[in-house]
Amino acid sequence: MLNVTIDGKKLEAKDGETILQVCQANHVRIPTLCFHKDLTPFGACRLCVVEVKTDGKWQLASSCDTLVRNKMEVRTNTDRVKESRKLAAELLCYKYPSTKAVRDMAESLGVEVPEGKADGSDCILCGLCTRTCHEIVGVDALKFLDRGLGRSVSEPRIEYIADACIGCGSCAYVCPTGFVKMEASGDRRVIWDKSFKMTACDKCGRYFAPEEQLKWISRKTGVPMSKLTVCTSCR
Amino acid sequence: MSAVSFSSWNGKIIDNRTGKAARVDAGVPTMLGDKSFTALMGWNGLVVSGAANIPSLALGYLREARKLSCGECSVCSIGIDRIAALLEGLIAGRGKKQDVAEIERVARGVMELSKCNFGRASAVTPVLDAVRYYKDDFLALATGKKGTTSPYKTAVTAPCIEACPARLDIPGYIELIRNNKFDESLDLIRKRCILPGVIGRACTHPCEEACIRNGIDQTLAIRLLKRAAADNDLASGGGALKKPTAERPEKVAIVGAGPAGLAAAYHLRRMGYQVTIFEAFPKGGGMAAVGIPDYRLPKNILEHETRLIRELGADIQYNRKITKLDMDELTAQGFKAVFLGVGAHEGTRMGCKGEDAGYEGFVDGAVFLRDLALGKPVEPKGKVVIVGGGNVAMDCARSCLRLGFKDVEILYRRTRKEMPARAEEIDEALEEGVKIRYLVAPVSVLADGNRVKGLECIRMKLGEPDSSGRRRPVPVKGSEFKVKADMVIPAIGQKPELGFAGDVLQVTGWGTIEVNPETLRTNLEGVFAGGDCVSGPATLIEALDAGNRVARSIDAYLQGRTFEPEMSFKGIDVKAQRALGHVDACPQEKVSLLEPKERVKSFAEVEAPYSDATAMKEANRCLRCYRLVVWE
Ligand SMILES: Cc1cc2nc3c(=O)[nH]c(=O)nc-3n(C[C@H](O)[C@H](O)[C@H](O)COP(=O)(O)OP(=O)(O)OC[C@H]3O[C@@H](n4cnc5c(N)ncnc54)[C@H](O)[C@@H]3O)c2cc1C
Ligand code: SF4
Ligand code: FES
Repeated sequence: MLNVTIDGKKLEAKDGETILQVCQANHVRIPTLCFHKDLTPFGACRLCVVEVKTDGKWQLASSCDTLVRNKMEVRTNTDRVKESRKLAAELLCYKYPSTKAVRDMAESLGVEVPEGKADGSDCILCGLCTRTCHEIVGVDALKFLDRGLGRSVSEPRIEYIADACIGCGSCAYVCPTGFVKMEASGDRRVIWDKSFKMTACDKCGRYFAPEEQLKWISRKTGVPMSKLTVCTSCR
Repeated sequence: MSAVSFSSWNGKIIDNRTGKAARVDAGVPTMLGDKSFTALMGWNGLVVSGAANIPSLALGYLREARKLSCGECSVCSIGIDRIAALLEGLIAGRGKKQDVAEIERVARGVMELSKCNFGRASAVTPVLDAVRYYKDDFLALATGKKGTTSPYKTAVTAPCIEACPARLDIPGYIELIRNNKFDESLDLIRKRCILPGVIGRACTHPCEEACIRNGIDQTLAIRLLKRAAADNDLASGGGALKKPTAERPEKVAIVGAGPAGLAAAYHLRRMGYQVTIFEAFPKGGGMAAVGIPDYRLPKNILEHETRLIRELGADIQYNRKITKLDMDELTAQGFKAVFLGVGAHEGTRMGCKGEDAGYEGFVDGAVFLRDLALGKPVEPKGKVVIVGGGNVAMDCARSCLRLGFKDVEILYRRTRKEMPARAEEIDEALEEGVKIRYLVAPVSVLADGNRVKGLECIRMKLGEPDSSGRRRPVPVKGSEFKVKADMVIPAIGQKPELGFAGDVLQVTGWGTIEVNPETLRTNLEGVFAGGDCVSGPATLIEALDAGNRVARSIDAYLQGRTFEPEMSFKGIDVKAQRALGHVDACPQEKVSLLEPKERVKSFAEVEAPYSDATAMKEANRCLRCYRLVVWE
């Protein structure tokens, strides 16, 4: 057990927990956009910042990817923290002014959101989809394409590798802005820019999964394709 | 010139704008390489020495910073965009007074809130200094008067890049691994390191000493990440190198297929030149092939990487020792330029009696390892004594254990502290059972007829520091004693074997080839040299650097251009930066080593690799310490 002080309150935490986890367990509210409890933290949105005392100085740190240490002191509601979160949200809003998730977040943090419709669905580079694809699905069809010395990437973006994608739709499910679209019609599912043939359940006839996903499951688990013809509700 | 009118370098303000320019302390950059500037913006501040257009330079800085900002966090790249838009507005005469304060607010936010060290230390630091200390220049633009923009120059480095002799884009290749792009990472590595699997295993990694994370927890495992990129490629079959886009008719001869020769061949081939390498040994890689033992560098790795260069069209002619550098002959064969990368293979004399007698069982370290690599059998009988404290001595000792010698002892004339061998190398040798005797030097070789039977030695003590800064060992009078040995391996250094170049080539007092340090040209027209034969025994990565550089120099020579050396950050402390902010400590990902007991049974590789997933985790620790400078 570790002892930490958050906003003046003494709390207990387990070794290996992040500041965000301890806050959530103790009902200390912290805004997040790029965090998901089942994924490795990415520290991209910077909305979860708190102040941590290091070397006697209060320093800003993203709470989602900072581990608690014994005797750590944390502040989550100072003016500096609030202004910092506001600035992060303001910048997101500057870049993606019509994306609803961004506008809502900015508004909740006290940013004066510019006039205009919330009819956009930009990719805000939160990395939830790439992490889901890599860590949960395990197929690596999404990769972060970012910039750096000598790399001629015009703008950072998420790269979609159609050959690797199995059409499971997990990325569309975690996307906070609606940028990743998944559409179904008849026996087809379209995700990113790839169209998948769906398999119908042998019992109820419902289209329940893309063929490529079933093949992939079969390859991974060794269960023959012939055993994967029934949807979960009918099994 | 070392006088400036303003400097905020490292956060220390020197302001002489009202008086005359004053001299500043050594830490403030006043030159870039050998070039002067009127104003410079860098990650660590703003330095002004003449009349300069500061708002324009600030905009230039932001544009360059935007190219380096990865885009992963919402603060850095968008913050740069926001500030640049405000600044563009001001320069275009559309700005308002409040915009200047807004630039300051956003810049502070970027420095405090960014995810990585680029955002925190580099992205906007000098721009904030500019709006604070040259506020009037910015406010003047808010009166409706249009500003102007001037051209600027730019350069980028990082502490690790600066420490790397070949200047690899280290944060770049690490980041590509983090993003699960092992292929692209390897492509980036190969731009300056054409033996990635070799270097990923055997590099002396000075970059890791310079890593900013040392001050927090532990350096990035830069070497192992390079190995991960190379291993990942090999695991998926090992793709070919990119072919040149166009062929050129000019022929270039290279003597020696060591790292220097191979790197030169690769780059010259990529430029389209016709390359022939003459190599004395039956295989390529130089000391990596006939020096570094298998347990540190399995030979299939080097063979694969050499083969790729051959398949790119470099004609490597093995078993072709050049015995005479005959320029007329080479010219007659159509060669327009020659690169000498012959290394340093001749053992240095210990300066003790009997070492030239040719006793059986007395063999120079480099020769011993070469024979081993080329398959000559060695009978592990009795005791072997190795003289020397460098990596070659360690390699000999550890190889002897693996050959089955039960009693392996190293004699070194100073103490562990002065030993030039890498610490991990010494530790691993000791773990395996190598004995090391310090403060001992040989006086004469003892023999029984024609067979070595030991060494007469003398004890040493440490005296005053010598030119290398290490304390000089001095003999203790009357302390002579005998060490019995069935085999004696002196491994105290090598020098180049330059007999083939006769008297035509200019050499230094150290017996190395004299070259222009920038162009690597020798005294002979069209003849270049680099690697160990110029530097004396050094490292793989320095030899690769020589090869990389000489290719550009030969290209310039053949095309009749003047050679432009790379921008130098010499004299600027690239490690220094302002506040780093809070960085969560997390130790380096570990790799496993073979158990010492297992190691000595064979020449199997000691160090295990990172898995792809572990490599990605380790890569995630990188702080991206890119350092940008922009000047006019
Ligand atoms: C035992 C040992 C261990 C080492 N370990 C490490 C290490 O762990 N890490 C590290 O960074 N460095 C290490 N080094 C140093 C490193 O190997 C050298 O610095 C590097 O190989 C130098 O490269 P080079 O191309 O200049 O010369 P070399 O590698 O020496 O290659 C020169 C080549 O030229 C050929 N040649 C010479 N003369 C002729 C001729 N007349 N005609 C035709 N061919 C000729 C030689 O046969 C050789 O193949 C080690 C060196 C030794 C000896
Ligand atoms: S943290 Fe990364 S960029 Fe910074 S010095 Fe270390 S390896 Fe280089
Ligand atoms: S939730 Fe921590 S940075 Fe996004």
